[in-house]
Amino acid sequence: MSRVVDIIIDGENYRAEENSLLIDLLIQEGIKVPYFCYHETLGADGNCRMCMVGIEGQKRPQIACDTLVKEGMVVNTKSDTIREVRKNILELELINHPVDCPTCDQAGECSLQDFYMEYGLHNSKITIAQKVKHDKAIDLGANVMLDQERCVLCARCTRFTAEITKTHELGIVGRGDDAKVTTMPGRTLENDYAMNVVDLCPVGALTSKDFRFAQRVWFLESSEGICHGCAKGCNIFIDHNKLKYKDDTIYRFRPRRNDAVNGFFICDAGRLSYKELQEMRQESATLHGREISQEAAKEAFHNLLLLHQNSIAVVIDANLYTEEIESIINFANTIDAKIYAPLDIYKDASFADEMLKSSMRAANYKTIENLGITTSTPQNATLIINCNHPQEFRADATINFFTHRRETQALTLPIAAYTESSGSLTNEDNITQYSKQAVFKNSPLPTISDYLQGLGYE
Amino acid sequence: MSQNIKVTKRPVNSLKHALYLPAIAAGVKVTFKHFFKNISDINAVETLRYPEEQPTDISDRYRGLHRLTHRQDGSEACVACFMCATACPSNCIFIEAEEREDGLDEKRPKSFFIDTLECVFCGYCVEACPCDAIRMDTGIFSLTGNKREDFVMDKEQLLSHKGAFGEELSRARS
Repeated sequence: MSRVVDIIIDGENYRAEENSLLIDLLIQEGIKVPYFCYHETLGADGNCRMCMVGIEGQKRPQIACDTLVKEGMVVNTKSDTIREVRKNILELELINHPVDCPTCDQAGECSLQDFYMEYGLHNSKITIAQKVKHDKAIDLGANVMLDQERCVLCARCTRFTAEITKTHELGIVGRGDDAKVTTMPGRTLENDYAMNVVDLCPVGALTSKDFRFAQRVWFLESSEGICHGCAKGCNIFIDHNKLKYKDDTIYRFRPRRNDAVNGFFICDAGRLSYKELQEMRQESATLHGREISQEAAKEAFHNLLLLHQNSIAVVIDANLYTEEIESIINFANTIDAKIYAPLDIYKDASFADEMLKSSMRAANYKTIENLGITTSTPQNATLIINCNHPQEFRADATINFFTHRRETQALTLPIAAYTESSGSLTNEDNITQYSKQAVFKNSPLPTISDYLQGLGYE
Repeated sequence: MSQNIKVTKRPVNSLKHALYLPAIAAGVKVTFKHFFKNISDINAVETLRYPEEQPTDISDRYRGLHRLTHRQDGSEACVACFMCATACPSNCIFIEAEEREDGLDEKRPKSFFIDTLECVFCGYCVEACPCDAIRMDTGIFSLTGNKREDFVMDKEQLLSHKGAFGEELSRARS
């Protein structure tokens, strides 16, 4: 543990660890500093030169990402010289930029746009015709599109593939105006975390093929959620939007920083899991494959419970929120039913890896274990109440609470998906996290606990 | 900005201003002047017998029905950047974007709808367009239909509207 020292930034006193990076302190304290190439996990590269600050005693401005904090350091980030330096560097970054913001998916969350409004506001000294042309709309593979003209050569993407995934697909070739990001000839970008380069790219050079032209980002609303892809519980932003006369729709998942769980990244499988979530939804109560009214469903539910008294098993999906699981347990105790949560079906060793992906593909299985719920398949029950468990069970009768449509003749009641309700989840490392409701449908579906309340239990 | 601000003197706070009566009298005088003039010569009244008579004073600045402009090859100039939809105060522009394959641009509108019943004809979409792709220079000021859907203009309709003042193609996209 190194010594904590005092330093002065823009006339104010701050305390920081000696020999830590100055830019970390600036970011942490919310002091505005522009940068492209620096990233907390990828470290300093010092190639973009945007994070210039003035340091007393130093002749020239220095880059904050490669400056170590020293005792008594006096830093200035707001002087006219610093503004001028940043403006000139930005002008260099923008020399060959095609300014095709209208067709660029990054527009609205682009560092170049933000810094131009903050520091640039200059007129370009060269015309569009004089700009160096490169290839646009290159499909790199793994749902990533590359536009070499928009690139500022910050090397975040190449450092990601070199340091984080260690797959080394991306590199920068050429010199001067000819320098560009590319893959090795004949090779494509292919790793399970490839789409993180889209978030890492501070400009529109790397964009998502999946999100391509789907929405302009300023229309989207970001809600904080937890990915349900596996037991890791990666923190995500659920970007969704309710278009006029349409229903609330999710357009993308983005990683949300949580150093205790997933850091800055999520896997591609989790990122794209929003699609499945919105397809083939169970939207109304069904019996024998036909739609029935809420009242008829309620009656059928009560009749089945009466008919199969004392021989009922409740099966709980290990993806449900803890609050839901608890209310199901309460309900099961009231009707004297046995509770099961078979976990074998969630195990998928081929999905797991060393980084974020867990072999247990159930977001809340730890709660099932912690609550001591039986994990075997139900035996000797004549009625099974399936609370969205993916497995199919054999019994005389079944009542299903399903988010998604499945082939079944049994009484099936539609329930809200995890993005349409909120609750807590405990991940495989026993970290309990809260997932907020993101999507508010025009006709919202109830959760299982809503149903149980409406049916007179609880 | 500061050099563009023009400071004007406030009118003097005299008894004449405070009373309001002289100003009211001046207003009433104008009203009665027109009243007697129109009563004496009914043909001098500036009224248009619409729809038999059509207006003749529609200029190129008049905000009529929208149109989408073309490029030289006849395709749409729009790149589906959603600036018009973003600027629109009544949210009546509905765009869906898709990949443009001909190499002129990357993006084009797959569908482009303007609900003219919701539109307030403010012209913000024209102001916002970076490609000179949407204009309101058709000179069309009257629109009829039998049902609400008739007033929702789709991309083909908007592209088929002609500019009334000579300028056909987009000035920003060739």
